[in-house]
Amino acid sequence: MKLLWPLALLTLLGVTGCVTPGRDVRLTGNIFVDAPMMITNGPAGDRILWEDRLALAALRHGDFALARRSLDNVLLNSGGISGDGSARLARSYFHPESTKRFIGEPYERVMAFYYRGLLYWMDGEPDNARACFRSAAIQDADNENHEYSADYVVLDYLEGLTTLKLAGDGSDAIKRAQKEVRASRPPPPNPKANLLFFLEFSPGPLKFASGEYREQLHFSVERPLAQSAEVVVDGQALRTGPWDDLYFQATTRGGRVMDHILANKAVFKSATDIAGNIGILGGAVAALQNNRTSQEVGLGLIAAGLISKVISASTTPEADLRAWDNLPRYLGFGAMEVSPGSHTATVYFRDGSGVLLPRLTKTLTLNVPADGNDKVVFVSDQSTSPQNL
Amino acid sequence: MNLLNPRFHLTVIALAGLVAGCATQGVHSPSGVPVTEMRPDEQGFVAGTGVESQDLVRVTDKMARSIVGIPQIAGAQGQPRIVLDPVENNTRFPINKDVFLTRIRVQLNSKSAGKVLFLARDRMKALQHERELKQSGQVTASADPNVVEFKGADFFLTGKLDGMSTRTSAGTSDYILYSFQLIDARTSDIIWEDSAEIKKQGLEDAAYR
Repeated sequence: MKLLWPLALLTLLGVTGCVTPGRDVRLTGNIFVDAPMMITNGPAGDRILWEDRLALAALRHGDFALARRSLDNVLLNSGGISGDGSARLARSYFHPESTKRFIGEPYERVMAFYYRGLLYWMDGEPDNARACFRSAAIQDADNENHEYSADYVVLDYLEGLTTLKLAGDGSDAIKRAQKEVRASRPPPPNPKANLLFFLEFSPGPLKFASGEYREQLHFSVERPLAQSAEVVVDGQALRTGPWDDLYFQATTRGGRVMDHILANKAVFKSATDIAGNIGILGGAVAALQNNRTSQEVGLGLIAAGLISKVISASTTPEADLRAWDNLPRYLGFGAMEVSPGSHTATVYFRDGSGVLLPRLTKTLTLNVPADGNDKVVFVSDQSTSPQNL
Repeated sequence: MNLLNPRFHLTVIALAGLVAGCATQGVHSPSGVPVTEMRPDEQGFVAGTGVESQDLVRVTDKMARSIVGIPQIAGAQGQPRIVLDPVENNTRFPINKDVFLTRIRVQLNSKSAGKVLFLARDRMKALQHERELKQSGQVTASADPNVVEFKGADFFLTGKLDGMSTRTSAGTSDYILYSFQLIDARTSDIIWEDSAEIKKQGLEDAAYR
């Protein structure tokens, strides 16, 4: 018995510090340095997030091999039915949501498949590209309220266009795309168009939390700069506004099951905190009585109150704010028919009033193949320029 | 037990500290799982609703058995020559399309006792280069290199994967129909066709929904 309390104290010191110490990793601000470092040395649960960021940076840089590898890692780890120990922990009272392996909110998972799809098309595999666009759409396919689900214009349009190019009937997909239009209406698809532009502009959604314990996940977005794009190739011009808005997609998909879990955690945290306060206060009042029994009961209540406070303090309802934060806001697409050979393309971006934003202009030298395969070009307002593709 | 005893209080506090215990409690396999070799037709613990190795094995085994038995192969005069034409993927899963036909070809080559021959059309560039070396005399030739000896195809072996997918709050369901055809290169007749269908469903953890 004499050893009980020192043993208990030692147990406390040993167990409450039972957290795997994290490696101290310092970021340089250069995604091509930070991402590989974090993928190797950072938390395992954040690997997919860094692969996502690296893939998009690589696409914008014209390093398609790197983008391909990163996205294949992402889809390998997140493209199936996800369920693992980290997810179970994230649902528990005493681990935050960010404990779970990051695979992204639906709009983030959509974009991983979208980018991989355009790379498959770039490699002359339109059927695998179509598969990716379909998988992307299905990421958005279910939500709690069944509104605004599977409503990406660009995904359905691209499914239809690839099907037409594969000599199939893409009309159903095109009809769905036309029905989902909120801003810019896509043109009728031209299966003969062999120069395809995947366009994106303006900064995408970011995450923040609100609520008493920061358990409610919300999205914010910066004021958009570029709101339309114009591509000029050999005097031929095509203009596109936003076909899809990722901020709209992020904010309208509806509630997550995890939102309910976090709300329950917040209620539990609050309840145990209140119970703790009551126990301590009640116990203190009882302990101050001139009665041994009351004092003992009071100390018991204080002890129980302390335990309840510790439980409350240990409860973690905070929402996961990890975000694929270099995503764009707007997606657009354009296609034209050109002769095989070398062409120069200039891509202009304009603001909401149509005013040109000259510092975002991109120049591309393109080599359109003669073998009948499409030339797929990815252009972001953040892409490096010039590029030789 | 004396509740006024400070040791008792410290014991209580220590026990309370146990509540906020180790982060890995409840984690399945926190140290990972050592690599083990599996049979390709086994379903592993890493599974999804898409195309996996056990599906590939099951489907291609069925197709190879089916092709060997058709009259145009079993009763053919000589050895019919087959060219592989890439499979079309009409599912939502990006796949390595070549692996299906490659496995069917390997199964046929190993089990048909030479009843069919496959033409290596994917190697034509290397073969053409070798022929040019022989024609120019840079390498030796066991026959006249100016005679065209590359064989034409009697049949094309091709296929298509079609899928239907559903996703609701109850989970995700994927159905895939694997169909393969042997097409007469001269007449375009589909002389053989067979299929296999596989449906899978699953529900991801609530933390990801």
